[in-house]
Amino acid sequence: MKKKILVANRGEIAIRIIRAIQELNYEAVAVYETPDKESRHIRLANEAVWLGAGPRCDYLNIEKVIKAAKRSGACAVHPGYGFLAENPDFARACEEAGLIFIGPSSEVITNLGNKVIARRIMAEAGIPMVPGTQNLSPGQAGVNEALAFAAQYNYPIMLKATSGGGGRGIRRIDSDEQMRAEIPMARAEAKAAFNDDSVYLEKLVINPKHVEVQIMADREGNTVHLGTRDCSIQRRNQKLIEIAPSMLGDQALLDTICETAVKAAKAANYFNAGTVEFLLDKDYNYYFMEINTRIQVEHTVTEIVTGIDLVRTQIKLALGKLLAFTQKDVQLRGHAIEMRINAEDPQNNFMPEGGKKVTVYRSPGGYGVRLDGFVYQGYTIPKVYDSLLVKMTVHGFSWNETVDRLRRCLQNFVIAGPKTTIPFYLNIVKDPDFIKGDFNTSYLDTHPHLFEYEEDTDEANKLSKLIAEIHYRGKNPYAA
Amino acid sequence: MMERIVQGMAPADVVKRLQAADGYYITNTARDLSQSDFKNRILLHTDIMAAPSRERAGYFSLEITGGASVHVDILRKQVDPFLKLEILREKMPTTMFQTLCRGVNLFGYRPYPQNVIRFTVREFAKYVDVWRTFDFMNYVPNMQAVFEEVGKAGKINEPCICFSTGPEHTNEYYVSKVQEILDVTGSDIILCIKNHGGLGSPRRIGNLVDSIKQAYPDLPIHYHGHNTDGNDIGRITEAVKNGAVIVDAADASFTGFYGPPPILSVIQSLKELGFAAIGIDEEAVIETSEAIRDERQHYAPFESQIKGFQPTVQIHKLPGGAMGSSLEQAVKGGFLDKMPDILHKELPRVQKELGNYWSVTPGSQILWTTAVSHVLEGERYGNPSGDLRNLLLGKYGPFPFYRPEDWIFEKVFGENWKQILEDEGGVEDIEDMDIEQERTTLQERIGSQPTDQQLVLYLQHPNDAVNFFKFTEEFGHVYVLPPSIFLRQGGFEPGETLTFTDHDGKEHMLEAGPSIVNDDGETSVYLEVDHYQRQYTFQPDLVEGATARPATISKEEIKILATSGDIRAPFAGNICEISVKAGQEVKAGDRVAVMEAMKMQTPLTTEIDGIVIGIAVKVGDALQPGDQVLKINKDE
Repeated sequence: MKKKILVANRGEIAIRIIRAIQELNYEAVAVYETPDKESRHIRLANEAVWLGAGPRCDYLNIEKVIKAAKRSGACAVHPGYGFLAENPDFARACEEAGLIFIGPSSEVITNLGNKVIARRIMAEAGIPMVPGTQNLSPGQAGVNEALAFAAQYNYPIMLKATSGGGGRGIRRIDSDEQMRAEIPMARAEAKAAFNDDSVYLEKLVINPKHVEVQIMADREGNTVHLGTRDCSIQRRNQKLIEIAPSMLGDQALLDTICETAVKAAKAANYFNAGTVEFLLDKDYNYYFMEINTRIQVEHTVTEIVTGIDLVRTQIKLALGKLLAFTQKDVQLRGHAIEMRINAEDPQNNFMPEGGKKVTVYRSPGGYGVRLDGFVYQGYTIPKVYDSLLVKMTVHGFSWNETVDRLRRCLQNFVIAGPKTTIPFYLNIVKDPDFIKGDFNTSYLDTHPHLFEYEEDTDEANKLSKLIAEIHYRGKNPYAA
Repeated sequence: MMERIVQGMAPADVVKRLQAADGYYITNTARDLSQSDFKNRILLHTDIMAAPSRERAGYFSLEITGGASVHVDILRKQVDPFLKLEILREKMPTTMFQTLCRGVNLFGYRPYPQNVIRFTVREFAKYVDVWRTFDFMNYVPNMQAVFEEVGKAGKINEPCICFSTGPEHTNEYYVSKVQEILDVTGSDIILCIKNHGGLGSPRRIGNLVDSIKQAYPDLPIHYHGHNTDGNDIGRITEAVKNGAVIVDAADASFTGFYGPPPILSVIQSLKELGFAAIGIDEEAVIETSEAIRDERQHYAPFESQIKGFQPTVQIHKLPGGAMGSSLEQAVKGGFLDKMPDILHKELPRVQKELGNYWSVTPGSQILWTTAVSHVLEGERYGNPSGDLRNLLLGKYGPFPFYRPEDWIFEKVFGENWKQILEDEGGVEDIEDMDIEQERTTLQERIGSQPTDQQLVLYLQHPNDAVNFFKFTEEFGHVYVLPPSIFLRQGGFEPGETLTFTDHDGKEHMLEAGPSIVNDDGETSVYLEVDHYQRQYTFQPDLVEGATARPATISKEEIKILATSGDIRAPFAGNICEISVKAGQEVKAGDRVAVMEAMKMQTPLTTEIDGIVIGIAVKVGDALQPGDQVLKINKDE
């Protein structure tokens, strides 16, 4: 009987993992909540297990997911990203249930998931870090520690929830008064969101570049990096566009950063795929930020430039294989850009467009295009999950070629129904700074013209708008 | 075949040719047809379809603008009246264009300042060759500014004598009116006998034409009539027999009941009598009707609710241009059953009481609304409209034959009526408008430098013009849409293909897709626009407008509230003026606001002395009966 692996996720990443499982000639078991009953990941899997009515509770229910894995006869579980992916309790529950958790051990997840422990490990290993504190002491003592830290490093300072991540639980502090006011609020929020009210401080690096390194480690501690990614183009700390390799241009510096990442992974006793994130200030000083203990959304760009299937590798390593390649086998070729095509209205603060039906879905094809999506024509986007429809990753030999291809693909992409980020991205690929590769995390704030686009400007579309209204109202309200 | 009269000829040459004519000319009265039988809704799209054959047909002129059409163009057809003329001129280079102008009332319903009249005429005269101008009181000074500007522009003046029937309407009266006109205009004019109701027998019209021709043998006469009683061809025949040299008719496939009769029928009738239609290509006349015949079905919602000719027009005298809208009001207002009383009893009575003047815009609206309110409310002259008050005050001009009896003045103005008449009576001398100031205001409202043409439209109908400019900004040039799209009722069939050529000449193809209600209640309409799917989303709350709201308080309650300074809208209509400011002191009887409904303005007055403490509306707001307008606190 074929091995079965349960995919404890939904949407595009579930499909990505199912494909890898099936390519390994194993069988994939999908799980789903009721709102996802029309999702394509269910149909692609070899079997599917209903978890419950949801939304967003059954995918997070460790007991139900473990049970689904056991009942379906799976030997391993791939958590994807989000949901239970970085929950050490889930990794531990898998371990205890005799299931292989495809990812690092629960202990590593615990250590690296706790920002303060992670910082301590990295400090001990000599990894450069943004000045920061341990967990602040409770009550007034913590506030006093914070004010002392501010006196030493000056504002602005980031106040972070120890258990936060993915951009959540972070606030910028610019003054002592604000510090006093915000610490209790941040604690209350963290308590509610993560069931852990501990917070710590970090010096804010202004308008940094976000550069991260993909690493891969086997059980024997062989650890390699797969190059860098630039994820600087973000909105509200959520990545929108990711690029491999980083466009820094200083290869020696990038090599150093990659070596630092390997060192950090080894210090954490890391296993399987992970991402070491760094911030680069304007003088190209780099600081360790965190290690993400999961496969990431943007892993596709690394796969494209390295030719290495990360998910396949993850599974093989988890099942006990050793790395089949060494550092010198990892060669980067060309450039890759991934754009997250979300059902969101960029002109309305990226308001999600969930609940809308995708009436037309025509995707681009041809050389150098990879699509990781899960929606199809006729699919109604559930309101209760995230708004990512499809990741489009393009590959080119040169940066210019890659940007040209990206533009062509965006122009070829037709999604009707929900508003999407496509018209906004079309502005980005035409922006001179983007074309030059010149961007940092302030890119969206400093390029407001990116939000200026109109979808219906030509005469035919103006007239069509009237025709649509005549149709909708059953008469022409402007001719009544 | 005698030579045609074509666009660009000097007025004096046109008059000479008319004087020498052996036969008669025809004006294609497309605008009046549209207004009388289709509530003014015939679209430019249809006129463009008709243009090539109309151009070849050899008419004296095409009446294609003026009357209420300028307003309806921007309000209901969303077409620029100037652009319309420009496009048609390009397709019809030789045919003269004709307008109907209401003198001092231009294309609206009440007098405009002199400088606005002159500015408007100058702009329209760039496209319009023949200016048929009238005044509903036949008060010549009301037309003078238009005459002068038309003359300056080198265009043809066609002053009207409005015609009606009754003991006062004698040949002597009309002949003397003609003299009054000629005294002002000089002899290079065409005189129009404007029979807007289609009144009088054929013999009466022939007799009138003959009297005028006897007095002024060289004066070319243009007979304008309506076929409301089904007998306008009889009147046309008699007019031509007695010397009229131009007559009005329209394309047969669109003729109805209240507008002009069919052109071809006129030609056929007169041919047997030995009168030739000069310049006319009969085949092109027939071709026009065929070219647009299939379009008529799409205008069905705008044709008269009541079918059939109305020979009783000889009793009620409503003009053809107002028949359709009057019947529509009766249907919408639910008083169709009262129409015999209104039309055959009250309207003739009111007409006689108010001086037997000519029932044509805006005088016909005053007669109509007065008669309707008498019948519906039971009390005669108890609730006079602002325009009736202005009529009685002589604002529009002096009564032509006799003044209404004193009791009517007393009923409308109260015991003090003589004083009021003395203080306020007489033709209004309207101050010139600061046109440059208006230009600035318009610029602020539309966010760009307005053209002179835009300014003209704005000066005519400020709010409707701004709405129209914004509409065009949003929806483009929609005149390119055929009536089958623009006037479609009940939506499109799934998969139905719609084609049109846009303003730039590009062809487009649309396919109607599904309409889907989303989770949040919005409806998404899908269209394939040039093979590219587009989605349009509509919020459900916009479906039912304020019109669906029932009146919450009664007329009596509105009156009671007024005694405490709580001014409510007495009827459904729009606010067209707020006469006071918050904090202002007012005295009982002061005008505080003006509302407009059915084109008639009615002032709202305060019944108490006090201070305005709040204004709940702004100019342009549409109100339902009982909606609060403003609040006045009583002086203590």
